[in-house]
Amino acid sequence: MAAELRLMIPTKESVEPDDRQLVRTIRDGDGEAFEHLVRRKTSKVYSLCYRIIGNAEDAKDIAQLVFIKLWENLEKYDPAYAFDTWLYRIVTNVAIDFMRNKQSRENAVNSNLRLVKTSTDAEQGVIVQRKEIEQVFNAVSSVLSPKQKTIFVMREMDDLPSSEIAKILGCRESTVRNHLFNARKLMQQQLKKRFPEYSRLWEERT
Amino acid sequence: MISCQNFRANVPTRTPEVLEHLRKCDACLEYAVSVDPDNFFRAIGGEELEPPGGIDAFTADVMAQVRLREAEGSVARRVLVAPRRLAAAAAVVVAIGAGWVAYENRQNVGPALSRSAPAESRRYVLTTKPVVETYQSQNATIVEVPSEGKNDVQVVMIFDDSLPADL
Repeated sequence: MAAELRLMIPTKESVEPDDRQLVRTIRDGDGEAFEHLVRRKTSKVYSLCYRIIGNAEDAKDIAQLVFIKLWENLEKYDPAYAFDTWLYRIVTNVAIDFMRNKQSRENAVNSNLRLVKTSTDAEQGVIVQRKEIEQVFNAVSSVLSPKQKTIFVMREMDDLPSSEIAKILGCRESTVRNHLFNARKLMQQQLKKRFPEYSRLWEERT
Repeated sequence: MISCQNFRANVPTRTPEVLEHLRKCDACLEYAVSVDPDNFFRAIGGEELEPPGGIDAFTADVMAQVRLREAEGSVARRVLVAPRRLAAAAAVVVAIGAGWVAYENRQNVGPALSRSAPAESRRYVLTTKPVVETYQSQNATIVEVPSEGKNDVQVVMIFDDSLPADL
């Protein structure tokens, strides 16, 4: 009896529509469903934008633009494919465009900047702070192309498999791996040049 | 979260449990990087971040922009419908204009002669003739016309080839 009752009470999962159902509802003209979708995907989209762009305010603007593009192009979504893959494709397109424009403006300014490391001492062993790694990453990844950086972030920070990244970017998996290899190489060189105290960690093994 | 011992035993792998430990445990970070340098940057991933101001404010901003674009879209749709109406209005205007021109032409055919005179007179353009304020010449011939009475205008004629012809 108790089991039967439990079956009749809707669980959270059964009430919560999945992404495809939400898209269908939005296409049927339900504006609230879109709001629901934005709320559901905000953290995912914003996190990726932030890691690619490295600036909270710019990342917020780009994330908003992503959702507007999503709303404008929702008719083009093919439910045969995973919604997140399609969403990530919009994110990467918008973010890469933004990075290309930004890079051309800032390349000259950033090339000679060096982050001043304050709280660690290379000779006495590195006590690495995550916030510092984030800063180091933002500094050394500035040498990467927008596509290389996007791929690196999706693979190493968002833990997406190469096959998924290839689907998102509409390229071959081997291209993704190639970009990853080059990105690592370039960042290692930058790390050695600008943050020798950290590069020691890398060199110990390589 | 798995224990540090468990993590260190499994760190070369990239299972969700290993990644979770990597991103949360400061004590194991350096070891993880020494095993695989890629763990250095991998350590800052994973966590889902919130935009500045929070998700509610962010969603409200997005929805406001969507509504604005929706309103702009409906105006654009109206503008797209409007060409037909504009074409009809333009046709009416052209028809009225053509009718008026035809009416004017018909009016002009009859009294053409009577109308032509004032039309001609209107074509004259008044222009200012050149003014010579000072004049000196050795070759001029000056003829003074004798005046007839007090109210008569004094006329002086100067004949000189060096003066402007239309003076």
